[in-house]
Amino acid sequence: MRKSLIGLLLILSMVAVACGNSLEGEEVLYFGAPATDSPDGIAIQSSFEQFTEETGIIVTYVGSENFESELLAQIEAGNPPNIALWPQPGTVRAQARAGNLIPLEDLGVDLDEYRANFSPYLVGLGEVDGVPYGGAHAVNLKSIVWYQPAEFDSRGYSIPETWDEMIALADQIVADGMTPFCFGMYSNGATGWLATDWMEDIMLRTGNGTTSYDQWVNHEIPFNDPIVKNAATYLSQIMHTDGYVVGGTDAIVSTFFGDAQDPMFERDANGNPGCFMHRQASFIPGFWPEDAQEGLGTETTFFAFPDMEVPSDTVLGAGDMWAVLVNDEATQEVVDFMLSENYFDAIATNVAGTGSTRISAHIGFDTSKYWSATTQKQADFLKAALAANVFRFDGSDNMPPEVGSGSFWSEMTELAVQGPSYIDSALDNIEKSWP
Amino acid sequence: MSVKSDSNKLLVFGVRVVAFSFFPLLWFLSQAILFREITNKIPRPLLIFLAIVVGSTFIFLLYAGMNRIISYAPKNYQEGLYGAMFVGPAIFLLGLFLFYPAIRTIYLSFRDKWGENSVGFDNYTWAFSDKIMQITIRNQIIWLIGVVTLVISIGLIVAYVSDKLKKGEAIFKSIIFLPMAISGVGSSAIFKFIYAYRPPPLTQIGFLNGLRVTGGTDNLGNPCKNNIFENGKKIDYVNDGCTQPIGWLQQRDLTKFSTFENVRPDDTLMSWFSNFPLNTVLLMIIMVWMFTGFAMIVFSAAIKSVPAEITEAGRIDGASEARIFLSVVMPYVKSTIVVVATYLTVSVLKAYDIVFVTTRGDFETNLLAVKMMDEFSKFLHFGRASTVSILIFVSVVPIIVLNVFRNKEENSL
Repeated sequence: MRKSLIGLLLILSMVAVACGNSLEGEEVLYFGAPATDSPDGIAIQSSFEQFTEETGIIVTYVGSENFESELLAQIEAGNPPNIALWPQPGTVRAQARAGNLIPLEDLGVDLDEYRANFSPYLVGLGEVDGVPYGGAHAVNLKSIVWYQPAEFDSRGYSIPETWDEMIALADQIVADGMTPFCFGMYSNGATGWLATDWMEDIMLRTGNGTTSYDQWVNHEIPFNDPIVKNAATYLSQIMHTDGYVVGGTDAIVSTFFGDAQDPMFERDANGNPGCFMHRQASFIPGFWPEDAQEGLGTETTFFAFPDMEVPSDTVLGAGDMWAVLVNDEATQEVVDFMLSENYFDAIATNVAGTGSTRISAHIGFDTSKYWSATTQKQADFLKAALAANVFRFDGSDNMPPEVGSGSFWSEMTELAVQGPSYIDSALDNIEKSWP
Repeated sequence: MSVKSDSNKLLVFGVRVVAFSFFPLLWFLSQAILFREITNKIPRPLLIFLAIVVGSTFIFLLYAGMNRIISYAPKNYQEGLYGAMFVGPAIFLLGLFLFYPAIRTIYLSFRDKWGENSVGFDNYTWAFSDKIMQITIRNQIIWLIGVVTLVISIGLIVAYVSDKLKKGEAIFKSIIFLPMAISGVGSSAIFKFIYAYRPPPLTQIGFLNGLRVTGGTDNLGNPCKNNIFENGKKIDYVNDGCTQPIGWLQQRDLTKFSTFENVRPDDTLMSWFSNFPLNTVLLMIIMVWMFTGFAMIVFSAAIKSVPAEITEAGRIDGASEARIFLSVVMPYVKSTIVVVATYLTVSVLKAYDIVFVTTRGDFETNLLAVKMMDEFSKFLHFGRASTVSILIFVSVVPIIVLNVFRNKEENSL
């Protein structure tokens, strides 16, 4: 009995040694925020199918809504996943500073090539003291306003090119007895981010454009600087002008951001839509009602956020960034693959059939591969902006979390509730909370 | 003689120390280190096999070894030591997984963001001076008082009344008890629909807003309804004069209600009332709804144990029903009330799921447990997160101490 047990152990350990030589069957755990069975989660998993077939490395994507806290617990317990996908590059830098991440250079990544492929700006978001830790992945487009061309045409409205034209159009719509803007910023535990997005878009187009935007994000100018105050005043014009937003000012903070555009698809007794314009990121069609989703690109489409004081092609966006926590050979192979041009093929061509609207951050990616015309158009926008270095990442994601996911959100919510007289206090409070 | 017994005591103490801490520690550490080292090196089936074999062998060795050690102790102490032998590992594990984390949390609460440098009492100053923390503590107090009093009073009344029912007591009680069977997340999701808000002109799917927008007429005399089609014509609520829906969970005060719309600042009473934190109370009601059934069942059992002779005697003496309830039934169920109150207090201090699912702490609805997780995972501030958890811990302690004293009192009676 004892002899046979020892024999079994010996055989088992020999099998283990024999497998160790190739990467066949090695497992790589990839952990991120989009839930495992959500459209994005399935799309991410599908992008590794080809890779697994070729190399034998098994990449398992696991997503959790409580990604951040679960990951922290895993790191603290000394049991992190190989790769983690953060929705905010700021957190990547914080984790890098805490010493939990492995620099890309140690993983055998050619940094010059990486910078050239993903634009130095995007790579820089994952750098600490000039050492890149984060891998650029997918980006989305925020500087867009959704609208319904048919409703515009039938009333003789034209797409506003500038802020003043947009205000004039809004006044026109109010005068016609309708509501120009859909605006909802309620989001469980993150209420306020929509207003911060607006602020960022306005900041990119006022003051000194991208220069003052970068200064603002890096806190080289105070948060209550006149430039920022000017931007907040513009935003307040939208939020607090009587009749501009659906349901009035009170409704802004009560409306779930995913429901916010629904009034545009609803017709009242006179056949008028509930609103005409909705400034929201490229991922919002995922929240539309099903029949509205079918009209994506035809019935409902988007125009670029209008020009303001500084005319420019700047584009605001956001995206996620991965970083490596456990360094082994299989992980290096996966990293190599994720930085390659064809990594996004499966997601772009919608292999999983879930209709993911993710856009690759790789400048060399062929945008004609995207399955939907709307995504193609957005990807072209982004690609041009990335190549011209006028793409800017969501500023609040790059601020310290105390501000970017704390006071900036809560004070913008407060501003929406309290009205224009609160602008000064809001900005002063955010400035005070900057660590 | 006395020298001998002293050395005996010393020996017993030595054996106790070895059996209680040294041996389990050795046992635990050897396995922890062994499996830590081999986890990523050998295939999983082999690992599981090893864990079973090694784990059970070690436990056998642990007890065999302790048995051996105890056999060196004097005969008349051995029985006690054998008892301790079985408790020893449990106490050791309790210490490892309960006391060690507690002490480390206290330590971390005096450190900075990543626990690197000491910051003295800064985190505690922050806990009581930060505006959001103050509101969180306020909410916690509202919940404590609100949930405990409401659950106990409603539970007691329902239990007493249902006890008097001639028919259908079981069905009545099951209905009240039903929410107890639903998880906290489930209940919160149900209530989230009750409080739901959608921007006009969408149909209101929330129960409260559905009621709110239905009824009345607009300024032109047309009826207001929740997007109902009548004879092919849509009747909505968007015209001036109809009541507009509100986001219930976003109302931090009552200023959106007509009674409080034009409160003068000098009207102290009314402006105090208008600051009523509506959303916090609405969330609190979810917990009341969940726990009333539990309180009712416990009280019902207590009320049933009141001897019928006593209430009968009271009735013959001409006491009213209220009088009987207060003077006869209440003294009998007093200790049950204390037990339920203790349980509720601890549950409220731990309450996390309701706020997490509904508002996640936005609009001044936060509770300490959610705030603790926010500081940990959102703001990555380990020091502050630890401080908040210490606050929760400290507020539970008096209740536990009280309970221990009460238990002792009852035992001594």
